[in-house]
Amino acid sequence: MTILADENTRVVVQGITGNIGSVQTKLMLEYGTRIVAGVTPGKGGQSIHSIPVYNTVEQAVVEREAEASILFVPAGRVLDAAEEAIEAGMGMLVIVTEHVPVHDALRVKALAQKRIGTVLGPNTPGVISPGKTKIGIMPGNLYRSGRVGIVSRSATLAYEIAGNLTEAGIGQSTCVGIGGDLVTGVTFVDLLKLFEEDDETSVVVLIGEVGRTVEEQAADFIRKNFSKPVVAYVAGRTAPPEKKMGHAGAIIERGRGTAESKIEAFRRAGASVITHPSEVVSRVREALGERQRFASRT
Amino acid sequence: MKLLEYEAKKIFSEQGISIPKGKLIQSSEELGDLSCKFSFPVVLKGQVPVGGRKKAGGITIAHDQNDAEASVSSLLGMRIHGYVVRKILVEEYLSVAKEAYISVTIDASEGAPVIVASSEGGVDIEMTARIHPEKVLAKTVDIASGVTEDIAAELARRTELEGVPLEKIVDIVKRLYEIFVNYDALLVEANPLVMTIKRELCAVGAAMTIDDDALHRHPDIASRDEIRIEDEIERDSRKQDIAYVRLHGDIGIIASGAGLALSTVDLVKDYGGEPANFLDTGGQITQQRIRACTGIVLKNEKVRGLLINMYGGINPMVEAAKGVASFVTEERLEIPLVAKVRGNQEEEAWRILEEAGVTVVRSIATEIAVQKLIELMRK
Repeated sequence: MTILADENTRVVVQGITGNIGSVQTKLMLEYGTRIVAGVTPGKGGQSIHSIPVYNTVEQAVVEREAEASILFVPAGRVLDAAEEAIEAGMGMLVIVTEHVPVHDALRVKALAQKRIGTVLGPNTPGVISPGKTKIGIMPGNLYRSGRVGIVSRSATLAYEIAGNLTEAGIGQSTCVGIGGDLVTGVTFVDLLKLFEEDDETSVVVLIGEVGRTVEEQAADFIRKNFSKPVVAYVAGRTAPPEKKMGHAGAIIERGRGTAESKIEAFRRAGASVITHPSEVVSRVREALGERQRFASRT
Repeated sequence: MKLLEYEAKKIFSEQGISIPKGKLIQSSEELGDLSCKFSFPVVLKGQVPVGGRKKAGGITIAHDQNDAEASVSSLLGMRIHGYVVRKILVEEYLSVAKEAYISVTIDASEGAPVIVASSEGGVDIEMTARIHPEKVLAKTVDIASGVTEDIAAELARRTELEGVPLEKIVDIVKRLYEIFVNYDALLVEANPLVMTIKRELCAVGAAMTIDDDALHRHPDIASRDEIRIEDEIERDSRKQDIAYVRLHGDIGIIASGAGLALSTVDLVKDYGGEPANFLDTGGQITQQRIRACTGIVLKNEKVRGLLINMYGGINPMVEAAKGVASFVTEERLEIPLVAKVRGNQEEEAWRILEEAGVTVVRSIATEIAVQKLIELMRK
């Protein structure tokens, strides 16, 4: 199977009765996602697009065997809703909501680490395994199934890269957003580990940007533990330096976090670094070709 | 949002951390007779929400009343890294035996709070961390259980403030962490934390940054936010929750998402253009919001061309197209406009934009849209 989710993954939508929750549920159903339940406290008993709504995630688990949750709840409700989903034993949480307070994200992450749950986001477009399932908000028509894995911090930049590949006839295995915020559940390294083991993925495209140090950590992992070809893109080369977070930020980051540091780290790790998004097409083609040649030799 | 020093110090003081005796003034008149409250010399500190203040001349020492008055008139109105000094914190000058450093921030690579302590305080702490990493201790904290006794003690020892009982420093570590949690802070910094010659601890420097996404939980702080952004367009965009940064060029950019906006800025530069701004619409794309974004970008009079680069993940692109089209039509815009919008209902969006005179690029590649706009602007 593909990483994180496939056509059998049973999904619950938290916040299904809200505007966005309802619209996105419809789009996911049209894509083929196996949505089995919705949750909105106080609205149990209703149904949205023929999907039964429950008051709690626990009920959705008992009644409909939900195993992954996507959250469309307001920023201020994310911490409670995520806690509820983790307590109910969800194997994966997709937190789409933007502007979640960082301290809430810290708490969700800490809780997920204790309970061994996979958390995408906050501020993630989610995950799509083209042709199988879409637990997220990405426009499905920009993707097609194939052998390229994509991991990204930015949502729309990932659409751009996937769309470039799709228009060139190159499909994707699974595309995942870790989330655009300062603190997110999973990081690039967590997903690279999954892609390493995934038979359906031959090449990984990693889309980073200035700030944080998840790209440097990913590069380190690629150098030591990752056997598949990686194409990397880093946005923000020409951005003015970020306003510094006191002295503490500089002490913790130790010179990492800039576009140069990330690009340099990927080069040292042997990744193919692209300067413009559309270059992804030729570089992935090269990488796929090399892999095929390699496979036919052995 | 970065707090001014006096605001951070007020919070420190309320949470039981000693700060120097001080007085906040906004004009020379408010200075009054300093000898009533202080003994000379005194320190005058211009209040701006930015680092590097001392090196920029924003902090002075006055040895008598005349000196202080002269300092006030030179400090008020001074521009430091883009911010104007409107308030001055006058403080007693402490006789310092030893300086140290303690801060609490977020280690984004670990996704956890981290407390940093060092025996070297002051403005050169970053240099110390690089040259003498053994003098700096950083400990991540489990947010569920908070700071343990052991971690607090280890950090306290690293300050090497040996003239005061360890438990007093441990207490400060814990209080700083409490402030960090209670105020949704991204940074709480005591630098320098000093031991005076009377062996008393005092936070001579204090810095705090609050998470913008949590400001609604701290309404007393949030209300002061907008007024301290000096750039008029940036202030406007902040009021409307639009992420906008002014740059120096003439190509206006509207992009849906921070990563896409960063990438678009890079591409404009790579193809020989100069971006006028960075703008991220955020995910909640409505007609009104895109209208507001267009208005903000075009408020910059340098803008001679506009690039719209959007994907409709969460909301349909038709709304976005209507927002741009209505603005362009009503304002009778004559500069070149190029739009690349993809996603839900893209074909309807293209039709609306083209009817309003916008050049639509149907390709997925932002590169094509950037080249097209630069070509139109050169005509």
